[in-house]
Amino acid sequence: MLKNFKNWLKDRRSFLLSWYTKDSQEDQEPERSLIELPDPIRQKILEGVSDLPSNPVEQKAITKALNETFELWRENPTNADNSIVILSSPIAAVSRILTETLEDWSKKQQVSLKMIPLKARPNDITNIKYKLEDYLQKLETEKEETEVLVIPNLSWCFLRSLYGLEGIEYLQSLLCDGSKKRFWIIGGGQVGWEYLNSVCSIGAYCGKVFLLPPISPEELGKWLEPILESLSIAYDEPSFDKQILDSDKEHKTHYFEKLAEVSQGVSTVAVQLFLKSIRYLDEEEEEEADSQAEQIIDKITDIADSSEQKFESKNLIAQVPELPELGDLESADQYILYSLLLHGDLTIHALAESLGDSDEEVQARIQLLRRRGIVEQKKGIYKINPIYYPNLKRNLANNNFIIEET
Amino acid sequence: MNYPQFYWLAQSAKDTAQDTAQKTKDIVSQITTGKVAQGIFILLTAYIILRILDKLVIWLSEKIAKEWRLRVKQFLPFLRMLVLTTTIVILMNLFLNLSQENILAVTGTVAVALGFAFKDYASSIIAGVVGLFESPYGVGDRIKIGKHYGEVVSYGLRAVKIQTPDDNFVTIPHNKIWTEAVSNSNTGALEAQVVTEFYFAHEIDVNFVRKILYRVAQTSKYTALKLPIVVIITEKPWGSSFKLKAYPLDARDEFIYQTDLTVRAKQAFAKYNVAYPDLSAIDNE
Repeated sequence: MLKNFKNWLKDRRSFLLSWYTKDSQEDQEPERSLIELPDPIRQKILEGVSDLPSNPVEQKAITKALNETFELWRENPTNADNSIVILSSPIAAVSRILTETLEDWSKKQQVSLKMIPLKARPNDITNIKYKLEDYLQKLETEKEETEVLVIPNLSWCFLRSLYGLEGIEYLQSLLCDGSKKRFWIIGGGQVGWEYLNSVCSIGAYCGKVFLLPPISPEELGKWLEPILESLSIAYDEPSFDKQILDSDKEHKTHYFEKLAEVSQGVSTVAVQLFLKSIRYLDEEEEEEADSQAEQIIDKITDIADSSEQKFESKNLIAQVPELPELGDLESADQYILYSLLLHGDLTIHALAESLGDSDEEVQARIQLLRRRGIVEQKKGIYKINPIYYPNLKRNLANNNFIIEET
Repeated sequence: MNYPQFYWLAQSAKDTAQDTAQKTKDIVSQITTGKVAQGIFILLTAYIILRILDKLVIWLSEKIAKEWRLRVKQFLPFLRMLVLTTTIVILMNLFLNLSQENILAVTGTVAVALGFAFKDYASSIIAGVVGLFESPYGVGDRIKIGKHYGEVVSYGLRAVKIQTPDDNFVTIPHNKIWTEAVSNSNTGALEAQVVTEFYFAHEIDVNFVRKILYRVAQTSKYTALKLPIVVIITEKPWGSSFKLKAYPLDARDEFIYQTDLTVRAKQAFAKYNVAYPDLSAIDNE
């Protein structure tokens, strides 16, 4: 009991300290999480995560929505909606989910897909309109019976700046041109969609808007099964109230229920939380662990003895998943983070343009956010760290930003 | 003829004065060193409580979500009033032994004193209490009284303190609400409308300028998109006047928001060579 209380106190240290000092988040002792795992195990988990396909549940939901809307349009191309919008949370790679889903779907429907040739937001945002015009003119010459045009990510077609909405205006004119042989599939982030809806009323031009459903605990478990199988991970005890109220459930069930609840059913958040929750117990700590934890570890050791590969991971334990504290955010930080959610990902220059600030000002701010872990950077592209998304969403919504209303 | 009556009246007045003097003497005689010490302790405690309340409520309002900021801040005057009233009642009870007769004697004296010496002070305090319920302004509101404009940073017993855009603090007594018009731009809401004015020559393409102004507001990071954006055009002898009316996410960003809108709009107008009015012709006339 005392040990549990000590652990609880240790976990809550950052919260308690935050009452006294604002920079406690930076100074606190780093957690013994994935980063401290032995190299081979860490590598294995990261490979497992990167090999994960898009969540099949999301793919199924998209396929169902596509079938319904596309069939309606095929039967009545004059009056039925000629487009469908698939919205994901702003931190999900909607283009990847959509592309993977559409491969199978187009084969089944026997239609040829035309992907808009945008793999990222162009450096010069005013080019979008001309790029789209060029591409669509080329399509005109091909003259196919039915064409399905796909915009994998609508966020790449705009930037919140004076000239950054011209691409959207052009798309709107195409969407309502009344073509009987053109069907549109548009992917996008929810925050960007809300923004475009309030500024350009884009919802009025598009047909069905389909929001990816939250993933259930069972579905999350199934999705992460390939990683779990290869590593023999044990599960930490659930919280005290769960132990009493749902004593008949396994620890694994509790774990995935908590994972789904905390991640709000968003798969990218769930994966990051899963990674953060995995911990390696060293010998010293193992001796200190309470009897129940020892039993679990013994059990894993027995299983691990059967194969050398599994032996490596005998001390892996998945702790109860918890979101990291967001800490205090100044208004300037909130504007940057909202802009990143709005566009999904941005270069420093594009981010500065969307804020109406200079590159230097934004660079300084974003470095601080990156150091706190809230923002990630890859090849000069900045995006929100998914693990902070649920708390960030709440913070921005409480501060008057338009986040989600769909 | 009526001497006995005059005598009786004079005698009665004399008795009453003697009676009141005796009562006052009794009350004063009951004031002991111990009571004075208690009184000082109560005053000090009230002062400390008020300081803590001020700090606590302001700290709390800045920590929580913005949408709750003003509501929490506007609770402060009520708390201050509660502490002050409680302190006064405790002190009066301590020194004046609040019996019905004592209250009458003291209030009579206080009323006369206030009537002559502290008329405006009393008027301000009463206006402050009325203002708590009538709410012409609250902490966090952006108000204009007379020629002073700014954010209400404190609601005191006697006066309200506002912080002007030049970072000056102006103290205005509450009794101004009896006579002056109070203009409140957000009345407890987080957003306050910001009006940014632009002026152009008559020959410009009005629809083009209008579209740019809408876009400027729609793409500003400060704009509260939940609220409407409006462009109003007025014709003047020297040109066309455009008013861009929009709301920032936080009323505190009013001036920085106005600057952002002006800077970005002017960049666009410069790019497309939108003509500004030629005022030299008017000046020459």
